[in-house]
Amino acid sequence: MEFKQLLDKKEFIILDGAMGTMLQRKGMKPGAVPEELNITCPEWIEEIHSSYIRAGADIVYANTFGANRYKLADSEFSAEQLIKAGVGIAKKAAQGKDTLVALDIGPIGQLLEPAGSLTFEEAYDMFREMVIAGSKADIIVFETMTDLYELKAAVLAARENSSKPIACTMTFEENGRTFTGCEVSAMAVTMEGLGVDAVGVNCSLGPDRLAEVVGEFARWTNLPIIAKPNAGLPDPETDLYDMTAEQFAQEMKKLAAMGVKILGGCCGTDPEFISRLSGLLGNEKYQRPVPEIPAAVCSYGRTVAIDRPRIIGERINPTGKKVFKAALINKDIDYILSQAIEQTSAGAEILDVNVGLPDIDEKQMMVTAVKAIQSVTDAPLQIDSTLPEVLESALRIYNGKPIVNSVNGEEKSLSTVLPLVKKYGAAVVGLTLDENGIPKTAEERFAIAKRIMERAVSIGIPKRDIFIDCLTLTASAEQKGVMETVNALRRVKTELGLKTVLGVSNISFGLPNRELINSTFLSVALANGLDLPIINPNAAAMTGAVRAYRLLAAYDENSIEYISAYGGEKPAAAADSGVSKDMTVGYALEHGLRSEGAKVTAKLLETTDPMDIVNEMLIPALDKAGEDFEKGRIFLPQLIQTAGAAQACFEVIKKHMTSKGGGQVSKGKIILATVKGDIHDIGKNIVKVLLENYGYQVIDLGRDVDYQRVVDAAIENDVHLVGLSALMTTTLPSMEETIRLLHENNVDCKIMVGGAVLTYDYAMKIGADFYSKDAKESVDIAKKVLG
Amino acid sequence: MRLEKLCREEALRYMGYRGNAPDSAMTALLDQAEEQLLRVIEPKYVYRIFDVENIGAQGVSLKDCELFLEGKDIAVHLEGCRRAALMACTISGGADRLIRINQIRNMTLAYVMDSLASAAVEQVCNAAQQEIASQTGGYCTWRFSCGYGDLPIESQKKFLTVLNAQKRIGVSVSDSFMMTPTKSVTAVFGISDSPLDKKRSDCESCNMKDSCKFRKTGERCGI
Repeated sequence: MEFKQLLDKKEFIILDGAMGTMLQRKGMKPGAVPEELNITCPEWIEEIHSSYIRAGADIVYANTFGANRYKLADSEFSAEQLIKAGVGIAKKAAQGKDTLVALDIGPIGQLLEPAGSLTFEEAYDMFREMVIAGSKADIIVFETMTDLYELKAAVLAARENSSKPIACTMTFEENGRTFTGCEVSAMAVTMEGLGVDAVGVNCSLGPDRLAEVVGEFARWTNLPIIAKPNAGLPDPETDLYDMTAEQFAQEMKKLAAMGVKILGGCCGTDPEFISRLSGLLGNEKYQRPVPEIPAAVCSYGRTVAIDRPRIIGERINPTGKKVFKAALINKDIDYILSQAIEQTSAGAEILDVNVGLPDIDEKQMMVTAVKAIQSVTDAPLQIDSTLPEVLESALRIYNGKPIVNSVNGEEKSLSTVLPLVKKYGAAVVGLTLDENGIPKTAEERFAIAKRIMERAVSIGIPKRDIFIDCLTLTASAEQKGVMETVNALRRVKTELGLKTVLGVSNISFGLPNRELINSTFLSVALANGLDLPIINPNAAAMTGAVRAYRLLAAYDENSIEYISAYGGEKPAAAADSGVSKDMTVGYALEHGLRSEGAKVTAKLLETTDPMDIVNEMLIPALDKAGEDFEKGRIFLPQLIQTAGAAQACFEVIKKHMTSKGGGQVSKGKIILATVKGDIHDIGKNIVKVLLENYGYQVIDLGRDVDYQRVVDAAIENDVHLVGLSALMTTTLPSMEETIRLLHENNVDCKIMVGGAVLTYDYAMKIGADFYSKDAKESVDIAKKVLG
Repeated sequence: MRLEKLCREEALRYMGYRGNAPDSAMTALLDQAEEQLLRVIEPKYVYRIFDVENIGAQGVSLKDCELFLEGKDIAVHLEGCRRAALMACTISGGADRLIRINQIRNMTLAYVMDSLASAAVEQVCNAAQQEIASQTGGYCTWRFSCGYGDLPIESQKKFLTVLNAQKRIGVSVSDSFMMTPTKSVTAVFGISDSPLDKKRSDCESCNMKDSCKFRKTGERCGI
C-alpha cells in the first residue's frame, strides 16, 4: 500500500498517538534521548507501535523524531544508526498489515538564522542525512516544526534525496502563529508550492482549540489536511494532559467535519485515544468543499493575497542610483535594509529586490540581501534578476513564497526560468516580449502572455501564480503605445483571467512633473485591471492613488485602511520651511536631532566645503559628546543618539560628494565582526555607528563570522584595523582563533577587541593589540591607529 | 502571564545610569520603546520540580532526572533544599525582531529597547518564580543559572531538553550555548521546607566578576 492509495481508499486516515508519553510511562526519564531506545530497548518501541496498530492506526511514526546530528552530539550512536533501527522496528511491527511506516523528523533543536546561528545550508545537510538513513520508510513526515525556514530546508532535503511522499505539520499557538511567527496561510501556500503531499498541525493545543487553525488550512490549500493535536493542555507541574480519550475523539470528529482527512494524536495521547478516534470515524464520510485558493505570495510571517491592487516597492534596484551602486560595491547591506524599511513604512506590501551590477558577484549579493531583508521585514519579496542562477540561489533560501521577476516569451527564458518557478513553488512575472523585442500592439502582447501562460500551466504552475507584465513604454517617445499597454493589460486580465503587474515609473521618463504623469497613468491602469503596480512607494501621490483606488473600488471596506493612512493627517501646514535660523550642527548633534542635522548640513553645503563641515563641526561635536560620556555627564543612549544625528549629517555629505563624483569622506577602513558562534551583535553595531560618524568606513561582516572570512576581508580590502566582539565566555575561543589566523596569515593590521566578558588581561593574552572597554574607546583606538 | 509595564529602573541600570534620573528626551525614548515592546512581548515559562537526590562534592543529582547539576557552587546553593525547580522563561522572539529592525532605523531606540527587554525577561522570571513558589509552598533560594560559578554553561542544552523547552515555549540553544530567543533565561532554584539564610548573591562565585561593569562602580547586578 502506498500513501496515495491510502488517501483514495480510506475516508479518513488514522495516525498513531504519542511516542514520548508512552516512553515516559514505561520509565524513560526527562532529559533522556528517546531514539537511543531503538537500540538499547527495541522491545518497548515495538510494543508501542503494535499497540497503535491494534488501535487502528493506518500510519505509525517511527521513533526517529530527534535523531539528528545536533541532538545526538553527545550520544554514542549516530543519527544513521538510530534512524535505521527505528524504521526497522516500525516496519517489523507493521509487517503483514496495511499499516504504513513514516520516517518521523522533528526540528533540529536550534534556531536557524537570522534569529539563531544555524544556516539554511547546515540545516539542509542534517535533514538530508536523516532522509537518506530513513529510506526504507513509506512516507516522510516533518512535524512539530515552528520555523517555516527550517521546514523549507527539510522539504527540499526530502524532495532532492527521496521520492517518497512528504507530509508536514507545524505547531501553531492559539493566536494562529507558531513560536517564530509563521502563519497558517504562509505555511499552506509555501508548502503547496514546494509540492508536499499533505499539510497540517500537530502538538500545539487540544483539538477543541484548533478549529480556527483548521479553518485557515481549509481556506488556503487543497492539499489533504492533517491534525495530530495534544490531549488538551498540560499541567505545568505534573506534565499530565487534561482531556480524556472520549473527549479527544469527539473533538477530533468536529475537525474531521471541517475537512481534516488525516487524524492522530500528539503529546498525552495513547492507544486508547486512537482506538476511540478510529471507532468514532469508522462510519463517517469525508466531505470537503473544494475552495478556490486565492492568489497569494508570502514571507514566513505575512501572506499577501492578490485579491486587490497591492503595491510592489521598486527602490531596491541600482539602476540610475549612484548611492545604491556605491552601497552594493561596498557591500553596505544596512543601506539596502534601510531602503526596505523605508518602503514598507510608506505602504509597500511586496518589495522588488534587484542587486544586479556588472562588477559584483550578483548571486552572492542576492542571497545576502534576501536573507538580510527578510530579517528586518515580513513583506514578501520579488526576486528580480536576468540570470537564472541568481534566481535559483535566491529561491532556495527565500523564507516563504516569493515572486520571480521575470520570465518572457523567449524560448530560452521559458525553458530555464519556469522549471525553477515550479520547483520552488514561486509566483512569476511574465513579460510580454520575446526574441523580436516588445511588440507594438496589444494584440501581439496578449498573444505572448497567452503563450507564457500555456507553457507555465503545462509544467504544473497554477494560473493564479502567473502575473503578466504588459510593459510600460515611455510616453514621451512612444505616445501611441501607452494605450496599447493598457488595452493588453485589460485583455490579459479579463480574457486569460491572470493577475497583472506593471512597472509604472518609466511612463514619464523625459517629461517634466513626472509624478503627475505617473500617478495619472497608474490610476488608468488600476481602473483597467492592474493588480500589482511596481512603484516608488515613498512618492505620496503614487501610494495615495493605490489607496484611493482601493477605497473607490470597494476593496477597502468602510474606508478603514484609507482613514488609518490619512485620517490623522493635519491639513498641510505651509510648506516645510526647513530649519530654523539658529540651528547648528553642534546643537543638532547634542540633542540627537537627525532631520534637523541633515537639513542644516544640506544648507551648509551650499557655501561650505564638505570636509570643513566634517572636521570643524561634526568631529568636534562628536568629541565633546565622547568626553561628556567618559566623564559620566551623558550616558550611552545619548552618545548613540548624537552619533545617529551625525550619521544623518554624513549621509547628506556623502550623497553630495558622490553626486559630485568627488572623493571619499573616509578616514580609513575598519573591519568589524562579532566572532563565530556569537549572535549577540548590538554592541558591535553601536561601535559601528560611532566609528562611521567619525568618518571611518566600516566593513561590517555581521555576526557569527567565520574566522577565515575576517582574514579574507582584511586582505581583500587592505584594512589595517580589525575590531572583534564576543559576548559570551563560550565564544572567546572563537575570538582567539580569529586573531591567531590573522597573525598566521601575516595580515598587516591591528586588532581591537571588546565585549561583556572580556578584560584587558585576557585581550592581551589572546594576542589582541587593543582592549576597548566601550564604544567610545574604540573611536580613540581608531584615531590612534588610523589617524 | 502578561506584563503590564516594564521595569525602567532596571533598564536604566543596564544602560549605565547609576541611579541618575533620565532627562525628558530619554524618558520619551523609554515611552516609545516600552510601548512597542509591550505589543510584541509574549511572556512564557515552563518548569519542573524535582526531588534533590544527592548533594555531593561533584554537584547535585535530581531524582528521575537525566540532568546532573555539576559543580561546587550549585551544591552550596541547593544546600538544605529537599526539592529544586528547573525553569526557563522567555519574552519570545518578537522582541528580537523589533530590536533588529530598529538597529537599522534608530540605534538609540534599539539600545533602549534591548535594555528594557532584558529587564522584561527578569520580570518574567520573578513572576514565574513567585507563581511556582506559591504553588509548591516552602522557601526558595535565589535563581542560579548555567554559567554561574562552576555550573558549566554546557549544561544549558540538557537543561532545556529536560524542560522540553523548545516544544513548550520555543526556546532553544545554539552551538555556543546561546539561547534563542535572545531574551530568555534558564535557572534553577532550591525549595526548602524551612526558612533559608538570607544568602546574598556572592560576586566571588560569579564568572563575570573580573569584567562586571556594576562591580567596577561598586554596584551589584541584582541577582
